[in-house]
Amino acid sequence: MTTFVPGLTGTEPGPAADDVPRDIRSSPEPADRAFRLVARGSGAAVLAIMLLVGFFLTYRAWGALSVAGFSFLTTSAWEPDSHRFGIAAVITGTVLIGLVAISLALPLALGTALYISEYAPRRLKRFLVSLVDLMAAVPSVVYGLWGAFFLQGHVVGLSRWISTYFGWIPLFRVEGAEPDDPLASMTVYTSSTFIAGMVVALMVTPIACSVMREAFSQAPPGEREGAYALGATRWGMIRSVVLPFGLGGVIGGTMLGLGRALGETIAVYMIISPVFEIQPHILQNGAISVSSLIALRYGSASELGMSALMAAGLTLFVMTLIVNFIASSIVARSRSGAGAEA
Amino acid sequence: MPGARPAPSERPRVRVLTALALMLAALLFGASLPVAEEAAAATYVPISGAGSTWSQNALDQWRANVKQYNMTVNYTGNGSSDGRNQFRNGTVDYGVSEIPYGVKDSGVVDSAPSRKFAYMPIVAGGTSFMYNLTIGNRRVTNLRLSGEVITKIFTGVVKTWNDPAIAADNPSLAAALPARRIVPVVRSDGSGTTAQFSAWMASEHAGLWDAYCRKAGRSTPCGTTSNYPMVSGSGFVGQAGSNGVSGYVAQKGNVGTITYVEYSYAVYTTGFPVVKVLNKAGYYTEPTARNVAVGLLKADINPKTLTQELTGVYRDSDPRTYPLSSYSYMIVPTAVEANFSKQKGKTLGAFAYYFLCQGQQHVDDLGYSPLPVNLVKAGLQQVRRIPGVDVESVNIKNCHNPTFSASGANTLAKSAPYPPTCDKKGASQCATGTGGDKTPTQVTGGKGSGGSSSGGGSGNGTGNTSTGGKGGTGGTTGGTGGGDDGGTSAGGTSASPSVDPDTGQVVTNDGSASGTVDGGAYSQPVTTASSIGGGTRRALMVLAAVLLLTLTVAPPLLTSVLNAKRRRS
Repeated sequence: MTTFVPGLTGTEPGPAADDVPRDIRSSPEPADRAFRLVARGSGAAVLAIMLLVGFFLTYRAWGALSVAGFSFLTTSAWEPDSHRFGIAAVITGTVLIGLVAISLALPLALGTALYISEYAPRRLKRFLVSLVDLMAAVPSVVYGLWGAFFLQGHVVGLSRWISTYFGWIPLFRVEGAEPDDPLASMTVYTSSTFIAGMVVALMVTPIACSVMREAFSQAPPGEREGAYALGATRWGMIRSVVLPFGLGGVIGGTMLGLGRALGETIAVYMIISPVFEIQPHILQNGAISVSSLIALRYGSASELGMSALMAAGLTLFVMTLIVNFIASSIVARSRSGAGAEA
Repeated sequence: MPGARPAPSERPRVRVLTALALMLAALLFGASLPVAEEAAAATYVPISGAGSTWSQNALDQWRANVKQYNMTVNYTGNGSSDGRNQFRNGTVDYGVSEIPYGVKDSGVVDSAPSRKFAYMPIVAGGTSFMYNLTIGNRRVTNLRLSGEVITKIFTGVVKTWNDPAIAADNPSLAAALPARRIVPVVRSDGSGTTAQFSAWMASEHAGLWDAYCRKAGRSTPCGTTSNYPMVSGSGFVGQAGSNGVSGYVAQKGNVGTITYVEYSYAVYTTGFPVVKVLNKAGYYTEPTARNVAVGLLKADINPKTLTQELTGVYRDSDPRTYPLSSYSYMIVPTAVEANFSKQKGKTLGAFAYYFLCQGQQHVDDLGYSPLPVNLVKAGLQQVRRIPGVDVESVNIKNCHNPTFSASGANTLAKSAPYPPTCDKKGASQCATGTGGDKTPTQVTGGKGSGGSSSGGGSGNGTGNTSTGGKGGTGGTTGGTGGGDDGGTSAGGTSASPSVDPDTGQVVTNDGSASGTVDGGAYSQPVTTASSIGGGTRRALMVLAAVLLLTLTVAPPLLTSVLNAKRRRS
């Protein structure tokens, strides 16, 4: 929105003495000025709100942080009333749930987006787009209920299978599981990071999918036709044109999804069985995330407990900021759809 | 709220007239119209509350019932702790909680709000122990436990269902109890149910409870707590809300779980059995409306605040009493402050008149117990303190509260039946079902009067043995398997089964012989020595994977190879 136009300066060569650049800073129209004001104002407001949120969280968290000190980062228990609390376990759990969700959502969203933008017949395309949007519109509590009361019962079999045959990978080990014992309870496989991540994956898929679809549909038609002219099959064209152009969208959508996955509250809250220790076994009963911890304990928190929850919220805030900064820098550097438009 | 301004000044007169007319009508027709009948004509502003899930089923029913009077009463069941906090912060108009303010929890006192408030009892009920346990493939419905064993289960001391302590409480099931792990399901949010349960454990089994708290890193004496302490790696499962814990236990796959939850969630919400708990008289009782009413005769109610002191209930020596009976309270504001207005007071008052009077009629169908006369009267007094309430003089006789009687005694408690002798601690055990599952556990072979989930094979169909002959000599000798209807009846009172001295398994006559009550047959799965289906299954899985890979990869490969050949030729 600058009025300074580089092309205009120095275009008219003349005698050095008389070389006074023409004044091109004409006063903008009132409408322009108003627009600029609104745009700047809202930009500044967003920044100010972000800063205020950060400031508020820090202010409220200060009480707990000064009690816990450095151990806030290393303690995994959460007993604020006994002055033993920290985010080691909570942050690990959050990241694990987010990673499970993303590793399931990424292929799903990528495939859906490619199919919708490249393969689907036109009439089906519109239907599918609205279907995906509908998926995004389902409230998270519905996903939570569905996950806790329906999906869980059907997924524990898969969990058991994975842990039985791939239990040698530490991530998939389930402690206390006895696959050979017909009386062994299936409860060790329930309420796990895996199941919570699965439900969250379904919630982030539509967002990631629509971002990717937008990016794919912006791949330049000239290059598409070029690829076809060179004898590429459709898949060859997608590989050489659509995917490289859409890479920014894929990364951006994934990161956006990760941001939502890290912050997802109610669905996780309803599924997990909270456990306050670093628990890297994703198939095993017991998980925790920052947002579900806040939802769980917010209602019954004492003054210090509330401050501790604010501190946990602050770490989540900082973490999502970092994720988003990384995402935007990756998107900016990659040969993205935005770059192709120019 | 626009459009909900207070009525003009002539309104009260109209209302008095209407009330008079209605009272006349009530007298004339003998109808029961004690409450807010003018409500249909009046306008009510919506009110909202939050708190206990213990009493949520009753509240939800009442809320639905007062819709007809154009009353909108919102309620969010997020746990009692949340209800108390939200009321303290002034974000809700009323709170619902099992415990009052001022209880010390993990060394922190839950401070009373600065706004003025009063406690009003709303409903009684029993904190029950709902469980999901099967023997063979049939659900057990008549489990009974002593308080000590319950405490041991929820403190991780008793870990398996075939523990001798459990067997001692259940003579007819003793021999058939499976070697399953017990999975206690506890509340993960701040909960009044947890507070009631922990208060009982702290009072009656303080040693076990404190030892557990110490293990969980809490300071002792642990006392009443709203947040159940968890020891990591102990196999406990935490779920949020009464619906969360009861729903978890009710899931088909979660056999071996047990939780503490209001009786309503077993009877009304899920249809699952509850544990009969041993009382001080030596009888195992269920938290039915009547048993709870009997127990609460011994509750010590503070006449000023109406709060409860339950030690008398825990130790009541009436054979009918249920030891974990208690009241749930509504916290109502008594001054206009923090978002609360007189118009809201009017709605809250009318709602309170409804549930204290008419609302108590059918709570027993939901798994609660109606309030006794004295508490209804005390509650009606509290309603008068709500600002903006249309004070009504309620004739308690017209409420049809099942506890009322002319003499003032608690009819419900008085008429409560004494437990049958088979519920007495000793060698016999009633077979009748409990809670929401009345299917008797003693089922004769093939009759199939219950156990709807049986059939279809047990577990994975892998090596459970069962009834026939010498059960337990190995997975391969199993005759009928758990799926057989005839296989799973537990325990007759007349024939105590014999136990094979070598294997420790039950030896009975064949369960498929239908119709014989004697010698109820046990189907008992056992652990097989070797891994089930190890080699073959793995080989088949690899084969399936290879097949899938071939099916997906082979056709395109083949075409490209063929194409290449054609091009070359």
